[in-house]
This record gives sequence, structure tokens and C-alpha cells, in this order.
Amino acid sequence: MTTLETYPITVGNVTRHVPLVETLPGMRIPLVEFLGDTELVEEAARLLKERLPEETELLFSLECSSVPLVHRLAQLSELPYVTARKRRRAYMEDPLIQEVPSLTLGASDTLWLDRRWAERIMNQKVALVMDVVSSGGTMKALERLAHRAGGQVIGRLAVFQQGKRQFNGELVYLYEIPIL
Amino acid sequence: MKTYPVEIAGVRRELPVVQVGDGVAVALLNLLGDPELTEAAAAAMAERLPQGAEVLVTPEVKAVPLAHALSVRTGLPYVVARKTVKPYMIRPVTREVVSITTGKPQLLVLDGADVERIRGKNVVIVDDVVSTGSTLKGLRELIESVGGRVVGVLAVFTEGSPRDDVTALGHLPLFQPEE
Repeated sequence: MTTLETYPITVGNVTRHVPLVETLPGMRIPLVEFLGDTELVEEAARLLKERLPEETELLFSLECSSVPLVHRLAQLSELPYVTARKRRRAYMEDPLIQEVPSLTLGASDTLWLDRRWAERIMNQKVALVMDVVSSGGTMKALERLAHRAGGQVIGRLAVFQQGKRQFNGELVYLYEIPIL
Repeated sequence: MKTYPVEIAGVRRELPVVQVGDGVAVALLNLLGDPELTEAAAAAMAERLPQGAEVLVTPEVKAVPLAHALSVRTGLPYVVARKTVKPYMIRPVTREVVSITTGKPQLLVLDGADVERIRGKNVVIVDDVVSTGSTLKGLRELIESVGGRVVGVLAVFTEGSPRDDVTALGHLPLFQPEE
């Protein structure tokens, strides 16, 4: 795929000219990358904190690109966070397993949540946090996982909504990015 | 459940001791989900940063919050070495390492854009736990193969045998699995 063209993405006071990548023939998306971009993460976490429901008791996210964001948001809001994994780890005990019907390149993902971490979600008011939501499949899977762990989902937050909104849930997001 | 007490920069934790393979158990450090410990470790690591460091490199995923926190404190950028090639990567560079504990091959991947951030730079590798050192060795080779100079390795813990090529905040023993 050719990716020489860039597209401007702005979060608060931070602007990045990110590569436009062709994920499917005739469909190009600006590729936002939070991993390794300290400044972008700091700005996004600061802005997301203002949108976090007041009664939130715990943040729930998934690896990998959302990890710096949820870490920083947890720190700023003085809340604990839990991260679902995308691979089974040797040390996991009796994990909760959740399939993700992902549209990204037709590949499907599986989320794994160690029982020890699931127990932290039980009876908590949970806000789900992601960097980018497109079809909403991953966010739905994360919500299902939170429910199965006994949490009450009270918020769904993302920095970016990508493309036309397809997600049939209440999503709070900071910015839209287009599909070109 | 058996636990092992640690203290990192004044923060105490009881790490669960979990079996990870035949005949070996480890004290499980998980920085994911522990901002307090992550920030304390990052503060202590920032004081131990080698002179002349220009960029941090960390393997995904457990050390990512640590790398971010260290980046905030030092003002240095960080790069994440991924474990799979992503479809959107541009000219990725890969290296396969074999984990001594699991015997499974593990891929380390740098996106082409990140290669440009490493080439010709003084690199510090940041990880949570350095155990057998297979990931460390692979990372070092990967970084050097794209023209970076590894000037230091910072870790929260070394594990098993002590190592003099890693600046660590503490050391973890290996354990015998419980019956």
C-alpha cells in the first residue's frame, strides 16, 4: 500500500500529520498512533478527563494502543484501571474470554481477562476507554466483558470516532476522523 | 495464594507467585493497571538515565505505561517494538527471538517510521522485567541493525540471575511451583 499522503489530525493543542493508509481497496483512513506519542496522549487524556462521568469508579480498556492513554487518564482522575489482553498469558487463571467481531481487515480478535483482574471490576461503575472507535465492535466486546465481570458500564469514551457513526451505544468522543 | 513482597521507590506490593512453565514459577509484576507503581518506578528510572540518551525503546505491552511515564519525565521520545507486523506498517523491520522459558519463537517488530526515530541515536531500552534476557538480546540486535546505539538498559526488576548489563530497581528470584 502507498502511504505517502498525510492528513492533519488535531487533539486540543496538538496537531499531527498522519499517514493516510488504504485499508481496503478504495478506502483510506488517517492512521492515528497514540503509542510512542507522549504529547498526543497527554493532551487526549487531559481532554477525556473532562468528559468522564463523575460517578466513575474504574476505567476499563484493552491492549495495546490505548494503554498509555488509559494509564494517564487513570492517573489524572485518580481511578484504578484494568486492561483486557489480546492473547492468553501463561499466568492467567480461569480467564474470561470474549470474541470481538472486528471489521478491521476481516480479522477477528479475542479479549482475555485474568480472573484476578475481573474481580476488580465486580460491582464497580465502569467507564470504557479507547483511542479510536470505528465500527464499535471492539467497544461492544469490551462492554460485554465488563458486564460478565460484574461491572456496571456507565460510560464509553474514545478520542476519535472514525467514519460515519455505526456504534449503537452512547459514545462520548472528542473528534471525528474521516474515511476517505 | 503465595505472594512475594517487593518495594519499588517506596511503593510496596505483594506480587502473586504464579506458575509459568514446567517447574518454574515467577513473582508476577503487572504495571498495567497500576499507575502508582508505574509512576514511582519511572521517577526512580529517570534518575538513572544514562548520559546522552536520546530515545527510549520498549517492547509491547506491559512496559508501555512505564515508557510513557518515563518519556513524560525525561522529555525523551519513546518507540514501542511490537510483537506482530501490523497491516498498516510501512517497511517494518523484524527479528525473531526464542523465549528460553516457553521455547516459543517471538517476533519483535519496528515500524519503518520508528526506524527513522532510532537510526543514529543513543537508545535506552526500557522493560518491566528482564529475566532470561532473550527479549533484551533480540531488541538490542534489532536496534543495532537499524543503526541505533544501545547506551543503556533500564528495568524495574532483573529476575533469576543477576545481570550487570541492566540497571534495575530491584531483583526477583525464581520460585519452585507449589504442589
